[in-house]
Amino acid sequence: MSQQGVTQTVSAVVSSLEAVGYLPDRALATSVHLAICLGRPLLLEGDPGVGKTELAKALALMTGRKLIRLQCYDGLEQRDALYEWNHAAQLIHLRAAQSQRTPEEIEREVYQPHYLIKRPLLQALHTPEPGAVLLIDEVDRADEPFEAFLLEYLGEYQVTIPELGTIKAETPPLTILTSNRTRDLNDAVKRRCLYHWVQYPDRDRELAIVRQQVPNISEKLSEQVTTFIQRLRHPPFQDAFSRAPGIAESVEWAKALVALNTLSLDPEVIEGTAGVLFKQRDDVAALNPLLTDLLAPD
Amino acid sequence: MGVMLGDARAGKLADNVLGFGRTLRRAGLAVDSARISLAQQALSLIDIGRREDVRLALETVFVSKEQDRQVFGELFEAYFKNPDVAKQLLAQLLPQTKAPKSGPLRSARAQEALQAPRINKTLKQSNTEEKVELDAAMSASAVNRLQHADFESLNASEYKLVEQLVREIPMTLPTVDSRRHRHASHGDQLAWSRLMREATRHDGDVLSLPFLKRRPNPLPLLVLVDVSGSMQRYARLMLAFLHQATRHTVRSVYAFGTTLTDLSSAFQSSDTDRMLALTNTLITDYGGGTRMGQALQCIREQHARHIIGHRTVVLLITDGLDTGDPASLSEHLGWVCRQARATVWLNPLLRYDGYQPLAAGAQVLHRHVDQMLAIHNLSHLTALARALKTLLNQVR
Repeated sequence: MSQQGVTQTVSAVVSSLEAVGYLPDRALATSVHLAICLGRPLLLEGDPGVGKTELAKALALMTGRKLIRLQCYDGLEQRDALYEWNHAAQLIHLRAAQSQRTPEEIEREVYQPHYLIKRPLLQALHTPEPGAVLLIDEVDRADEPFEAFLLEYLGEYQVTIPELGTIKAETPPLTILTSNRTRDLNDAVKRRCLYHWVQYPDRDRELAIVRQQVPNISEKLSEQVTTFIQRLRHPPFQDAFSRAPGIAESVEWAKALVALNTLSLDPEVIEGTAGVLFKQRDDVAALNPLLTDLLAPD
Repeated sequence: MGVMLGDARAGKLADNVLGFGRTLRRAGLAVDSARISLAQQALSLIDIGRREDVRLALETVFVSKEQDRQVFGELFEAYFKNPDVAKQLLAQLLPQTKAPKSGPLRSARAQEALQAPRINKTLKQSNTEEKVELDAAMSASAVNRLQHADFESLNASEYKLVEQLVREIPMTLPTVDSRRHRHASHGDQLAWSRLMREATRHDGDVLSLPFLKRRPNPLPLLVLVDVSGSMQRYARLMLAFLHQATRHTVRSVYAFGTTLTDLSSAFQSSDTDRMLALTNTLITDYGGGTRMGQALQCIREQHARHIIGHRTVVLLITDGLDTGDPASLSEHLGWVCRQARATVWLNPLLRYDGYQPLAAGAQVLHRHVDQMLAIHNLSHLTALARALKTLLNQVR
């Protein structure tokens, strides 16, 4: 892969990502730097809402590449991920040419690249310089046959179409895979990727993210929000909830509080907005008795 | 700590990465030679004067599972702390050396990887301890009689035979139509790509219409086996049975007594005898009491991702004699039943005529589960294997 000026060192990756509004820690930046320089796909795992998908978007902005997204789901098939023939157009061509051509000529004409409907993987391979950022989102939701199908792509950046032959990437796409670990991925997939476990940010970084995403939040409120959420994620409070709020939730919550003209956190306003932080009835119920402790000063 | 990378500056970085990679492999990380050479490439792309960057770069290359991160961190510390320790460790990779001095507290996997491999003697002993000669007189009629004999009443040689027989019982797994398609002569969609290929071959004429049909997929299973004292005999047979019967579907298997044990690693082995030997070493609370509520809570908090919403079928193998708190059992079992497609209680106590779920735990189970089935002899097990699919279709 061609090394780009913006990604010479890890520190440069940190500052380039910050410039497009994504605040990474050094571990994530190292993985990104190596993924770009070594031309390897990067597999991101982590709890929901820690910014895995956002990273791919930020990388597209940072490198000036086009973002192509493949959302995975159970039963995802080759024709949704890679290509499909435009059967209607082929049929019209077939009918029009039927009387004048030999069957061999018709077959050749019908399977031409312009009758090909390109799905995300093929689009990513065909994107001219500077290439694409391909996001294969929530790959754990697809089934194992799809993982096996991905191997050729992840290893060689190429795919094989029976009627056309092997198609190789003009510029290898910068490939990001994300997984929420609803199941463990096949080792063969993992072996072709670099791996990074995305963690919740520390307090300072989360504060910076909240302030950046919600520019009109007051200094005091942003600090209170961050402290509150950090406490929720750490012992002794962490065990009380089935799922701790991610960064996505803390940003949403900060936005909600600003929309309600909140000046500072109090039990009443937290109870009213708990639905932004937690999506489970049990978790909302568990929050109320803990509020005094959570709001206590250091 | 002046020198960060062992003998890095003396040009031995490549050797160190190789040795480190081999140590990681011993700790169970999936490290092959391609990974090691990738790691060496990675180090050429970063500032190796920064110890933290080196750690991060090696981590992103060598680690591919969340649960391996801690082991990696500890081994990295041990390996690159100072050149002497690194050399000592490299020396320990040779089989004859003695175990290292006890250092700082490390996780068991890290500790094991730093030591020379040893043969697990206890495992061997447990294999030979119970040598049962198969009775030569065990004829076809005896096998027939065993069909209806209660597992609890079997003598040692009969038990051994039944343990072989349960592996042969074929099971029709419950299926659901997946979103994937296969070609068929009838179906709900036209197979356009095949149709076009045929048409171009026959001068544009369509001779027959090919169709696509949804492909049936077996539902994933979550198996919870009670290994408390009262269930000991059944648990082993059920594990042997399920190991073979469910080998074509996604399954997570846990044993519970006083604690919860993940048996998935044992179930990965394709040999049933090996699986049983492995479960013996994994399960530490064989023959103890039952705290089902606690076990289910542990599933809920730590392994919830193994229950795929409204797809997973839960098989609960227990006699319902629970010594834990019924309220907590009810709460967590209710959660499991809401998540699962169906929850089936396989109960050996159904061998008694007129059995009523009167014990506190049994009452809770009876209230929540969709089905209760008997599993106390071979003929019931065979019936279960045949009926599970039909039963589950009735449930939803």
